[in-house]
Amino acid sequence: MSVVERIGPDQVPLLARRYFAAGDPGPIVGALAQVPELLVVAVPLLGAALGPSAIDWRTKEIVIVRTSALAGCRYCVQAHTVVALDAGLSRQEVVALRAEGSAAEVFDSPREVALLGWIEEVAGGGPIDDASRVVMGRHWADHEIVELTMVIGVTLMLNRFATALALPTSPDTLDRLAAEGLL
Amino acid sequence: MSIGAAVAHGRLPGRVWMYSNYHCNLACTYCLTESAPAVARRELPPTAMIEIGRQARDLGFTDLGVTGGETFLMPAMPELLAELATILPVVALTNGTLFNHRLLARVEPLAGLPVALQISLDHPDPETNDEMRAPRNFRKVATAVPELVRRGVTVRIATTVESLDKTTLERLCTLHRGWGVPDCDHVIRPIVRRGRAATYGLGVRAGQPELPAELTITAEGAFWSPFAPTVRDGKPDTDLLITRTTRPLSVPAHALLRLIEARPPGEDSTLNIR
Ligand code: SF4
Repeated sequence: MSVVERIGPDQVPLLARRYFAAGDPGPIVGALAQVPELLVVAVPLLGAALGPSAIDWRTKEIVIVRTSALAGCRYCVQAHTVVALDAGLSRQEVVALRAEGSAAEVFDSPREVALLGWIEEVAGGGPIDDASRVVMGRHWADHEIVELTMVIGVTLMLNRFATALALPTSPDTLDRLAAEGLL
Repeated sequence: MSIGAAVAHGRLPGRVWMYSNYHCNLACTYCLTESAPAVARRELPPTAMIEIGRQARDLGFTDLGVTGGETFLMPAMPELLAELATILPVVALTNGTLFNHRLLARVEPLAGLPVALQISLDHPDPETNDEMRAPRNFRKVATAVPELVRRGVTVRIATTVESLDKTTLERLCTLHRGWGVPDCDHVIRPIVRRGRAATYGLGVRAGQPELPAELTITAEGAFWSPFAPTVRDGKPDTDLLITRTTRPLSVPAHALLRLIEARPPGEDSTLNIR
């Protein structure tokens, strides 16, 4: 059960109203609306880091699902399993990203294998091996490494937020996961 | 635009309101904050209020307001008002029922300072007045106001009503004039349908478009107007919350100014309530 009460449609704070204008904005924005001045800076950051950008959609979803699985975030794994499938990842790839242990064997692109190693290092905490930096540098441009690392960091932030507050997965997502046999 | 310039150009009202507390010795039927003796107090400590007052002055605000709950249930209220008056002129709202000899002696030093006590009185007939507020409310107010005026303390009378006919208004004004409160210090305002007033279906609906934007600070955040940080069924309303951050005061002040500037032209407050 979530520890914070969901703000009802008649209680949306002034600065948060535009995020609710098109209907329920989901549990993350719904929770952040409790502190509107955080919401108005967090949403653009989340949008820039996790939304469309120079990094293609498939790659972003690899980062988000894998990072969330390593962080043990039920909410983000479930929500982004659906998004990853929509982004064109195969069911087998998504299952591998969500699983414990190495996901790399399902992926054959050297760039993606390097990225998966990088995610393990960054999301795992502790010092980062120079060898991983070298491997990443071989396959990804500097600006891509910066952005991908930021995506891992922002995902981890959301992972802890969603896990700590026990944010509920939306019924639509649960229905889709059930239909895909991925609940 | 700076806050000072916005205030100077009339874009932003000059008064910053502070809710000192939410509890009250009364439990009026139209109370916005569902105040009563045993409710959550939601107190703003005096040190915080002084800090907010100083920051308000430094930003360019021109006046302070203190409201509640019953403000004089806060033990240090007379001394706090004297201190706030050294920063900016203050109006403090009170139900006027707690002014016994001891409290009168403690508020006496407010005479001559830029402090006004705004006391509620809704009807010239004691029974009708007390029905909305509390038994013997009229008698207590009728005793306190002349005593305060006699001591040189500035008193304003606030009348909160659904409607008031001309004869009743004239009788009310005769009363306050007789106590030494001039017409310019008598404010009449509508009941706003929030808090307990909403529970009883009283008053006029008031949201952001109808309420004048006056920065209002409570223990739980900064709000659009002093009519905004209301309580319904024991829960604080957040529909007119601006920010949870109250200090530095520049954070909610600039957020409020941005909200005012984002309003479509012509969309301004329609309720003349202060
Ligand atoms: S309206 Fe004022 S006097 Fe009446 S209960 Fe509320 S705070 Fe107290």
